[in-house]
Amino acid sequence: MARFIDLAVSAVLLAGLYATMAYGLGLIYGVLRVVNLAHGGVIMMGAYLGWILHQRLGLDPYLSIPIVVVVSFGFGALLYRVLVRHLPRGAAGGPASLLLLFGVWLVLRNAAYLAFSGNDQVIRTSYSTQAIPLLGSFVSVNRLAVLGIAIVIPVALHLLLRRTYLGKAIRAIAQNADSCTLVGVDVERIYTVTFGIGTALAGVAGLLSATLFAFNPAFGAGELLKSFVVVVLGGLGSVVGTGIAALILAVVEVFAILVMPSYLTSAVGFVMLVLVLVLRPGGLFGQRVLG
Amino acid sequence: MRIAWPAPIPARAALPFAAAVVALALAPLVLDVYTLNLFTLAFLMISGALAWNWMGGYVGQVSFGHAALFGVGGFVAARLLLATPLPAPITWIAGGLAAGVFALGAHPTLRLRGPYFSIATIGVGEAARLVFTYWEGFTGGASGLSLPIVDGGKEALYFWGLALAVLVVFASWALRRSTLGLQLLAIKADVDAASDVGVSATFYQDLVFFLSGSVVGVTGGLYASYFSFIEPNDMFGFDRSISFVLMCVIGGIGTVLGPVLGAVVFVLLRQFLLASYPQLYLGLYGVLLIVIILFEPLGLTGLYLRLWRRLGGRGRLGPPPEPLAASTARPTAAAAGGEEGR
Repeated sequence: MARFIDLAVSAVLLAGLYATMAYGLGLIYGVLRVVNLAHGGVIMMGAYLGWILHQRLGLDPYLSIPIVVVVSFGFGALLYRVLVRHLPRGAAGGPASLLLLFGVWLVLRNAAYLAFSGNDQVIRTSYSTQAIPLLGSFVSVNRLAVLGIAIVIPVALHLLLRRTYLGKAIRAIAQNADSCTLVGVDVERIYTVTFGIGTALAGVAGLLSATLFAFNPAFGAGELLKSFVVVVLGGLGSVVGTGIAALILAVVEVFAILVMPSYLTSAVGFVMLVLVLVLRPGGLFGQRVLG
Repeated sequence: MRIAWPAPIPARAALPFAAAVVALALAPLVLDVYTLNLFTLAFLMISGALAWNWMGGYVGQVSFGHAALFGVGGFVAARLLLATPLPAPITWIAGGLAAGVFALGAHPTLRLRGPYFSIATIGVGEAARLVFTYWEGFTGGASGLSLPIVDGGKEALYFWGLALAVLVVFASWALRRSTLGLQLLAIKADVDAASDVGVSATFYQDLVFFLSGSVVGVTGGLYASYFSFIEPNDMFGFDRSISFVLMCVIGGIGTVLGPVLGAVVFVLLRQFLLASYPQLYLGLYGVLLIVIILFEPLGLTGLYLRLWRRLGGRGRLGPPPEPLAASTARPTAAAAGGEEGR
């Protein structure tokens, strides 16, 4: 029973991280209809950025969140202006945008290999090994902090989408970009900002995972696929749906340890991805557009 | 189902092709072993790339998981070679069939289109890699399988590779020109419209996926025999899946000549980069992908067509841009049109 509670607690904590990863991917797909395959690369980039700031400047990973947000937002906006803008969107542009963003990912990975070598790294802080008792088991401080941030982010995102002009414009464009142009919304600017926000979320997710797991330049591939599972399962842009979907994925993954060798648990996510796509391509809660 | 046979091969395509095949068949008389090894590898990659192209180019279902088929073919062939006295070609065919059946197992994913299909294939591919690496009884786990080295095997495999490549080039051409090719084009252009006029996307996609998987599986079998050592993380690796995509993108997705050129360029480039700049080769593939998608989505074939038209050669090339190729995305048009609706 104690083991059961342990697993349940770690599933909840993991779910927070998965949700953070998925919001960025879902936002970009919902608005631009582009699957950002570079998402995994940006997650990896965020991890290294946090690591560098911690290593060189001694900056606490949680304090470097704003820096990571700004840098990855800038990177995303640039990526949109320079590359993605020139691609056809929607069904016609599927393979083209996939392949292009995949190329971006390869370049990011290669850059990371050159800069940091292929060795595994981890952000280790003074409180990395500390844990506090909770529900009869011990929970690492780090994981709790990550969960906390993972709760703040969707709330902030929800408020942004619901309460600001920018959010309204983003939601409107997701529904019909042409009409937005007609009523004077600067669609290109909103696309740039949306892409930036999406990659910023990926960067933060990378930073958060770097405090929990070891990473190397190939890091992010599994995270991309898990984000995709969560996005598809949770429905596009639905903040609550994404949270629930992340929880489902985390629970299935964590409890798979009970029935199969630990080496195969990472295959669970991939199998779930295929099952979800095939059985519930519209998500668990039906398709909703950003809100 | 009525399939009209493809029209006879036009002489201006058949003659250079026949000349190239004869030259390649005589090449072992004059070339050194290193070059012949590269050629053999190129033959295998040409076959794999063309088979990928049947799915990715003809039907428009871009697969990021073909390494799974390559691996299944390779390991089934290797196991048969180790466990039975069957001659190698039979084991390759068996490996191919096994890969084809494996591809049919992925049937449910064929309901998906565009990015959804691509992402699902990443999932299938990675899951297959993990499972087969874990399944030590079959694949030897992370330490792989060694095959007995046959005397004169590499020389023989040069010709087997050439034969396979020729066969697959011919099949690609036939597939492209037959009614079946048109039906695939219809599915690629618009699934719903195709089914309205009686082209069953489910049936044809299964058929092509099976064929594509079988050929990639046979290629995997030859690859196993050729290197006499295979290892699941290499055979099933994500990098291998990408290599099929890359070869076709470099050469020109959806064409017959494109993947052939792409595979040759890929093999040479890889050899050169691994020898001289091993730390850059991933990034260079990335840059290639970006540049090609942005500026010439048809790759080398598109470049060739553009040059041809620039030089005023119009009539002799037949209908200029191949219809299959023309329906792949054209970013340039989107860029010119400014704001793009969906």
